[in-house]
Amino acid sequence: MEYIDPHIHMVSRTTDDYETLARMGCVAMSEPAFWAGFDRGSVESFRDYFRQLTQFEPKRAAQFGIKHYTWLCINAKEAENVSLSREVIAMIPEFLSEPNVLGIGEIGLNKNTKNESTIFLEHVDLAVKYNQQILIHTPHLEDKYQGTRMILDMLMGDSRIDRSRVLVDHVEEHTIEAVLENGFWAGMTLYPVTKCTPQRAADMIERYGPERLMANSAGDWGPSKPTAIPDLIMELKRRGHSRELIRRVVYDNPVAFFSQSRQFVPLENS
Amino acid sequence: MSTDHKPHRRPAEEILADEFLQARSRILDLAAFLDRLERAPGSTEQESRMRLLADGLEILCDDEVGKARRVQLLMSRDYDPAWQKKYGIH
Repeated sequence: MEYIDPHIHMVSRTTDDYETLARMGCVAMSEPAFWAGFDRGSVESFRDYFRQLTQFEPKRAAQFGIKHYTWLCINAKEAENVSLSREVIAMIPEFLSEPNVLGIGEIGLNKNTKNESTIFLEHVDLAVKYNQQILIHTPHLEDKYQGTRMILDMLMGDSRIDRSRVLVDHVEEHTIEAVLENGFWAGMTLYPVTKCTPQRAADMIERYGPERLMANSAGDWGPSKPTAIPDLIMELKRRGHSRELIRRVVYDNPVAFFSQSRQFVPLENS
Repeated sequence: MSTDHKPHRRPAEEILADEFLQARSRILDLAAFLDRLERAPGSTEQESRMRLLADGLEILCDDEVGKARRVQLLMSRDYDPAWQKKYGIH
């Protein structure tokens, strides 16, 4: 079954992974800007990183017939450095017209601090100013519930936000309901230990239905499994779910969401 | 929530038959972990995380629904509705 991974960090994966993903049915992916594993020192580091996301990765993906899209931001972890964050935010518009940029992301919170919240709101201002979609990172583990509630407070307090153009990622059992009930898209991340399993994601699909719901692997430089979406497909098949339901979550929904970005090219035209 | 789907629902007997061995394995993993702590020098008795684990296990054994959600909330920091005022953010 063809699928799209809406959240995967291919800068941290080898080219072999692109080949494996292509063989397993991945036809497109979206890669949000994230933490490198260390705190970057300057805005120029981010400029180079954005060049990698907008120029190098699409070419690497194209070798295997995969369409690569990206999102730009300074991630929540590095947002604690307010002055650097503001330099990066000021630089982002240089890249917004690149053909694979879908919007601003993955913005969010990490430890739910005041600085992180301030920079989150400044990213939202940027997204509104340039009419960009937004992809949101919700914190890990014990910080997730508090951080998700804080993020939703900020978004719902802003009448400029079109919630149908916002994806709140890394939802789990205690955060998914608030995200969906309030009209946002929700992403379930299939990542060992710190996030969700294919089985729990399948449970959430059964409980809440496929509307505005996606799944992703968030494959990165930590212990992760970029082939996690095929695992979810297998789990849903094992449970007897229809091909239509499965395709809706892993293909149709990402297309529907991304089609709201002017840079997204329908896959049959790629 | 969504009204445009008709998810296939497996009978409880089928779920138990399919997943019993996995559940058994996870219980064994937890049991082995607790044994490991018991054998190790030092004590974690006063550690707040041990209380979290004990409370989590109680949730698994109670008669209420929504166990996964309740374990998640147990393991979560509290949300303060007044956070924006405290941070001076509006």
